[in-house]
Amino acid sequence: MSWNNFCSLFKKDCQMMIAGKFFLVAFGSLIIYTLFINFGYVHYMNAELYNVYLYDPQGTQQEVSERIHPVASLEELNAVLSADANGVGIDTSSGTPGIVFYYGSEKSDNHRTDYALSLLHQENEYTAKIVGSNTLESKQRKEMCSELLFIEIIAVGFLGIASVLFKEKQMGAIRVHAVLPFKKGLFIMAKLAVFLLSDLIFTVLMTVLNIGFPDAAAILPAVLVQTAILSLIMALMGFGCTMMLKDFRQFSLAYVIIVIFASAPIFLSANTSVKMAWMDLHPFYHVYMGLKNACFGMPVINPVYYICSVCGIVILFLLAQAVFHREMGKEG
Amino acid sequence: MRGLFYQLKSVWKDKFCMMSFFLPIVVALALKFIGGIDLSSVAEFHFGVLESDLSDQTIGWLGRYGSVTAYKTQEELTAAINEPSTYMIGVTSDGGSIQTMVSGDELDLFRQTADTLPALYEGRERAAEISVNILERPDMMAGFQNIFIAITLIVAMFMGCTFNAMNMIAEKENGIDLVNQVLPVTQSGYVIQKIFVGFTGGCLSAVLTACCYFRLQWGSAILMLVLIMLSAFIAALIGLFIGKFSESLMVGVVYIKIVMIIFMAVPLVSYLLAAGGLASVLCYFVPSSAAFEGIMNLAASGNPAIAKDLLILMAHCVIWFLLYLSISKWQKKHT
Repeated sequence: MSWNNFCSLFKKDCQMMIAGKFFLVAFGSLIIYTLFINFGYVHYMNAELYNVYLYDPQGTQQEVSERIHPVASLEELNAVLSADANGVGIDTSSGTPGIVFYYGSEKSDNHRTDYALSLLHQENEYTAKIVGSNTLESKQRKEMCSELLFIEIIAVGFLGIASVLFKEKQMGAIRVHAVLPFKKGLFIMAKLAVFLLSDLIFTVLMTVLNIGFPDAAAILPAVLVQTAILSLIMALMGFGCTMMLKDFRQFSLAYVIIVIFASAPIFLSANTSVKMAWMDLHPFYHVYMGLKNACFGMPVINPVYYICSVCGIVILFLLAQAVFHREMGKEG
Repeated sequence: MRGLFYQLKSVWKDKFCMMSFFLPIVVALALKFIGGIDLSSVAEFHFGVLESDLSDQTIGWLGRYGSVTAYKTQEELTAAINEPSTYMIGVTSDGGSIQTMVSGDELDLFRQTADTLPALYEGRERAAEISVNILERPDMMAGFQNIFIAITLIVAMFMGCTFNAMNMIAEKENGIDLVNQVLPVTQSGYVIQKIFVGFTGGCLSAVLTACCYFRLQWGSAILMLVLIMLSAFIAALIGLFIGKFSESLMVGVVYIKIVMIIFMAVPLVSYLLAAGGLASVLCYFVPSSAAFEGIMNLAASGNPAIAKDLLILMAHCVIWFLLYLSISKWQKKHT
């Protein structure tokens, strides 16, 4: 009996989301993200070590490395350096080599000097030992994929549930539910199920399209677990906020605050070497790292993380149920 | 006049509009004050070493190039090197020399640094007697900051579309749209009021944003004002389109999001990739391209040449306006 109720609620929510063009928006973002990763990010994100230019009119340097670019005059040296401000110039016109370059930062300047000088001597070719399993491209794909997944789930779970619920709230459908003969928890469950399902499908498509099938198949189970945690948290938070706030405009304010202030420090901390001490207290940081590590094939194994996540979801569920009952009572 | 007053009052009460009004101003202030943010720690090298493996001298030598972190075991060191968010290079001793380790997913810059590090170590005595001439370079961040502020200004100018679009959608949802149809308001009066709302909102926000950041000469300031007014007018027209075609708030938000993404991405991408030829001409079909170019010119030089950009913006104003009029006329005929 209760299963039938659940099914009809689920069906109604799906219809509402189709009518609200929700799936269309999600599908559009999927295409944009995929195009961005496959044709933009992977191709343009790379940096080479500095170029070294040698001006050597007397030919004093005999055994220079082939990585050095010779130039014919001092003017040419100045011109290439001002065009390539990270480059390093070596000027041997006075007999001994002198280094010239534009200021970068103190430590990188030390390295630029020593690197340029080392190129004046042929050394044995050395290749650093490789201890990881990713290439640059596969890492960039996984990294961008996890970031976009995180953004999309935060945005979709939160905004999507609001768009559906505010409609029901305004139409008075929530008041109708107060008198319908089914368990009230089912109402929230059905909403969660719709968003969970759509987020999981989105995740599968996103990983397969951007990481490639063989790699994606290996990491997918772990990624789906993390997606489910994040999706449930965001959908429950969206549910609670929708019940408490008056209309969509107020909600959009809460939305901007959550998106900017909750996710900006996470991206800064998780993707650059900037580390902030209070970051460990930020709950979304752990979820994001869980998702990212799962994408890199290193799922979190610490049971504390999962216990905390489940507790968090249960607490959020109870809170959502409480505000839902209050909302029904207010209108009933 | 009274109508205009009510329009502005209803925008003033709309949190969404107020938010999009103040957001660019706050960003401009933030850019102004944290302009000199120190990102050098992001750009420097990070080395990972094992405890009691390398001599103090070697660690001191590595410290000249970047930060050095010590790890207790080989496993911890490997995990730190593989950590995707950093570009750490592992350094271990190898008799009298050193060995390096990378994870293999680094940018070429870091992989090449790791490949050449042992050679630098071998030649570390040679460096002493060399003369080094360091040239002052123009502030690297200035160019980037101009991009940020130009994009912020674009957001401020074209956010004008939020004001009247949101206003129109709210009227649709509350049923005021139906009331308007029986009130003695002409279609042209209605359009002018709505354009005015978006135009003033966009203009004010952009002018305040520009004032927060730029200190311009009189001539440039007037050119900037013209640029802002033309862009805000286009934004108001686009707001009319969005308001006309979106039947609910959610759809309106999605349309605005798409428009803003296109308006920000097209000029940015064409600037960063230095698009030329046909591609750059195609970019001018998005009005923000011309505005972006104009702002960058004004910010970069004391003697700006932006007549072309102003002309393109004017053409946009006329075309969008005529398009809106003809669509309205067509709709009237067919309803």
